[in-house]
Amino acid sequence: MTTAAPVPASADGPRRHRLIGWALIAPALAAVAIIAAYPLVYTVLVSFSKSTLGRPFQSWVGWGQIVTAFTDGGQLASILRSLEFAVPAAVLSVVIGLVIALSLDTATRGGRVVRVIMLLPLMTPPVMAGVIWKLMFAPTGGLFNDVLAGAGLVTEPVLFLGASPAAMICLIVVDIWQWTPFCVLLIFAALQSMPREVYEAAQVDGAGVWRTFRSVTFPLVLPSLVTVLMLKVIVSFKVFDLVFVMTSGGPGLDTNVASFNVYRTALQQFDLGAAGAQTIAFIVLVTIVVLPIATWRSRLLKAGSRA
Amino acid sequence: MKIQRRISTGITNSRARRVAMAAAATLLAAGTLAACSGGSGSTTSGSKTLRVLIAAPQEGAGKALQADYEKSTGTKVKITVVPYDQIQTKAILDAQSGANQYDVIQYWYTSVGALAQADALDDLTGWVDKDKDIDKSDFIAPIYNAYTQYKGKTYGLPFDGDTHLLYYNKKILADNGVKPPTTWDEYLADVKKITDANKSKGIYGAVMMGDKSAFNIGSTFFNRLATFSSSPIDSQKPDLTSPAALAAAKSMVDAAPYTAPSPSQIGFDQALALFLSGKIGMMEAWTDLGTFAQDPSQSKIADNWGAVPLPAGAGGKTAAPLDAGWALGVSPSAPDQDAAKDFVKFATSKAENLKLVTTTGSGVDPTRTSTLESDKYKSFTPVVAAALTQILGNAQSWPTSPNAPKMIQSLNDNLAQMLQGSLTPQQALDATEKAWDAL
Repeated sequence: MTTAAPVPASADGPRRHRLIGWALIAPALAAVAIIAAYPLVYTVLVSFSKSTLGRPFQSWVGWGQIVTAFTDGGQLASILRSLEFAVPAAVLSVVIGLVIALSLDTATRGGRVVRVIMLLPLMTPPVMAGVIWKLMFAPTGGLFNDVLAGAGLVTEPVLFLGASPAAMICLIVVDIWQWTPFCVLLIFAALQSMPREVYEAAQVDGAGVWRTFRSVTFPLVLPSLVTVLMLKVIVSFKVFDLVFVMTSGGPGLDTNVASFNVYRTALQQFDLGAAGAQTIAFIVLVTIVVLPIATWRSRLLKAGSRA
Repeated sequence: MKIQRRISTGITNSRARRVAMAAAATLLAAGTLAACSGGSGSTTSGSKTLRVLIAAPQEGAGKALQADYEKSTGTKVKITVVPYDQIQTKAILDAQSGANQYDVIQYWYTSVGALAQADALDDLTGWVDKDKDIDKSDFIAPIYNAYTQYKGKTYGLPFDGDTHLLYYNKKILADNGVKPPTTWDEYLADVKKITDANKSKGIYGAVMMGDKSAFNIGSTFFNRLATFSSSPIDSQKPDLTSPAALAAAKSMVDAAPYTAPSPSQIGFDQALALFLSGKIGMMEAWTDLGTFAQDPSQSKIADNWGAVPLPAGAGGKTAAPLDAGWALGVSPSAPDQDAAKDFVKFATSKAENLKLVTTTGSGVDPTRTSTLESDKYKSFTPVVAAALTQILGNAQSWPTSPNAPKMIQSLNDNLAQMLQGSLTPQQALDATEKAWDAL
C-alpha cells in the first residue's frame, strides 16, 4: 500500500479565512460606522469649528467651545439638572421595579394579567405620556387640581409644572411611571431564573421572609439589579420628550436638562458648533456616572462566576 | 489520495460556499444602502407640483390657497404643515442638507436675516421691483420693511401681518365696574380688582402668556416695550438699557401674580381657551382672536367681547408690536423659480389677503392697506378693524438680524426666569444685554 505524499497546506489558507471573515462582517461594520462612528466624529469635528445649521465648518475655533461647554455656568447647570433627574429616576425605578417583581414572583393568581397591564405605560409613546400628564397637572382644569380642590385640600391651584422644585419632581414621577415596567420585566426574568434549591434550603433552615430576601434573593439578584440600574441611568440621561412636551425646560430654566439644552442650541439658536461641544460635555458626564456602575457590575459578575 | 482529494475538494467547496455567502451579504448590504438613499425631493414627473411649507397657525390659509391656486392655474400644490416653532429649523435644514423639499417657504419675519444668510431664501429684489402686479406700495410699510428686508434686499412678501390688541370680556369688566384700560397702570389696577373679587370663582382679571417658546413670553414683553418707548424699537438690537425696557419688564412682574395661574405654563392655545370660556377679563392677543370669539362652536363669549389698542406706558404711546408675523419666500433650490414666485405673488395679493382675513380659521391678518381700508374687512370685524387702523402706523419690529434667533431665545430665557422669580427685572435685562453683546 502506498501512502500519498501529504498535500501541502496552502500558505494562503489562514489569510483567506481572515479575508472571508472580514467580508462577512463588513456590512455590520459599515452599519456601525455609519450609525455610530460617523455622527460621533462629526460631532467632535464640529465642536472645534464655528458652525451654524446653514453653514457648517466656517472656521476653526480650537478648544474654545469645548472649554466653554465645561465651564459656562448655564451649561454646567443643565448638566447638573440631568444628574438631578437621572439618578433619582433610575434608582427609584429599580427599587419600585424590584418590589413589584418580587410581588409578581410570589403571585399565584392573576400574575400574567397584571404583567400585561403593567406594560401599558411602557407601550405609551413618550410624547403621548407627556401630553396626558401635562393635562393632569394643569393648574386649571387639570385632574389633580380638581381632585385637591374638590376635597377642600387647596384653595389655590397647585403649580405642579409651574413651580420649583415641583416641576422636576413631576418629570421624575412621570419617567418612573413610564419606565418602571421595563425594570419589572428584567428583574422578574432574573428572579425566575434563580435556582429554587437555594430557597428550599433556606426554608429547611427556618429562614423567614425577610431573612430569605436579605441573605438569598438580594445577593443572587444583585448583578441583575445593577445591570438594570445601569441601563436605566443611561435611558434617564437621554430624557427629552417629557421635557419638551411638559415644561419646555421651565419654569425659568429649572428643567432645562443637558439633552434639551443641546436641542435648543442646535435647532433654536442654530449654533451647531456649541451644540457639538455641549454634546461632548454631556457624554463625559454620562461616562463618569455610568463607569462606576459598569465596574461594579463586572465585579459582581466575576464574583458570581467564581462562586 | 482519494480521501485527501475528497477532503481537499470538500474544503474547496466549503470555501467557495463561504466566499459566495460573503459576496451575497455584501451585495445585499449594498442594495439595502442604495435603497435607503432618499429621493432628491424633485417635483413629480408629469404634471408640475409646487411644494409649499406652511406654519400650523396658517394651515387654514394654506388649504384655501391650495384650492384657489389649483383652480386658477391648474398647477398642483402640495402643502406641508409644521409647528410654528419648528419652521425655521425645517427651512434651514432643507437648504443645508440639500434635500430641497420645498419651493415656497413661509417664514417668521424675525428669521429673515438668519435665513437669508444661510441661503435658505432667494433674493427677490429684482422681481418685486419690476412686477407691478405685486403692488409693493400697497403693503403696510412697517410690515413690509420688517418682514422682507435684509441688507437692502427683498427676501419675501408679507403673508400674515400679526400684531396684538387688548381683548376684553364686556360682562366681566362691567360686573367689576372697570373700563378697558388706556395705560398699563390702569391695566394693573383693573386686573387686581377683578382677580381679588372673583378668583374664588375661577375668574381672573387677565391671562398672561409667559410660556418660553417662540412668541408667547416675547410678545408679552414687546407689547410693553413698544408702548413704553417714545422712540421706535431698533430691529437690529433693541435697547434693553432704557427706562422703557425696565418699565416693560416690571409691568410683567407686577401683573403676573394677578393673572390666571400660571403664566409660565400658558401659551397662546391655553390663553385662548381660557378667554373663550369666559373666565378671563382681558387678554393681549392677535387680531384674528375676534373671529374665534364670535364662533359659537368654540366661544362662550360671542357678542360679549371687545378690543382696543394696547395700553400705553408713561412716556409712551399706543403701538402695534409686530408679534409673530409671517412672510412667504422662495427656496433658492426650487426647480421652477418662476412658478414658485407666481405662487408667492398669488398668496400675498390684494385679493387673497382680503379673502383670507375675512375667512374664519385662516390665521391670516391684514398685510395691505387696501385690506385695512376695505368695507368687506371693516364689516367682517368692525371692532378689530377700527383698532388696527389706529395703531399700524406705529408698528414696532422685533429683532431681524441674523443673530435674531439667539437674541430672542436668550431674552425669552431671562424673562422666564424673571417671571419665575429667579431674576429681578433689572437682572433679566442685564443678563440679556450681556448675552446680546457677546454675539
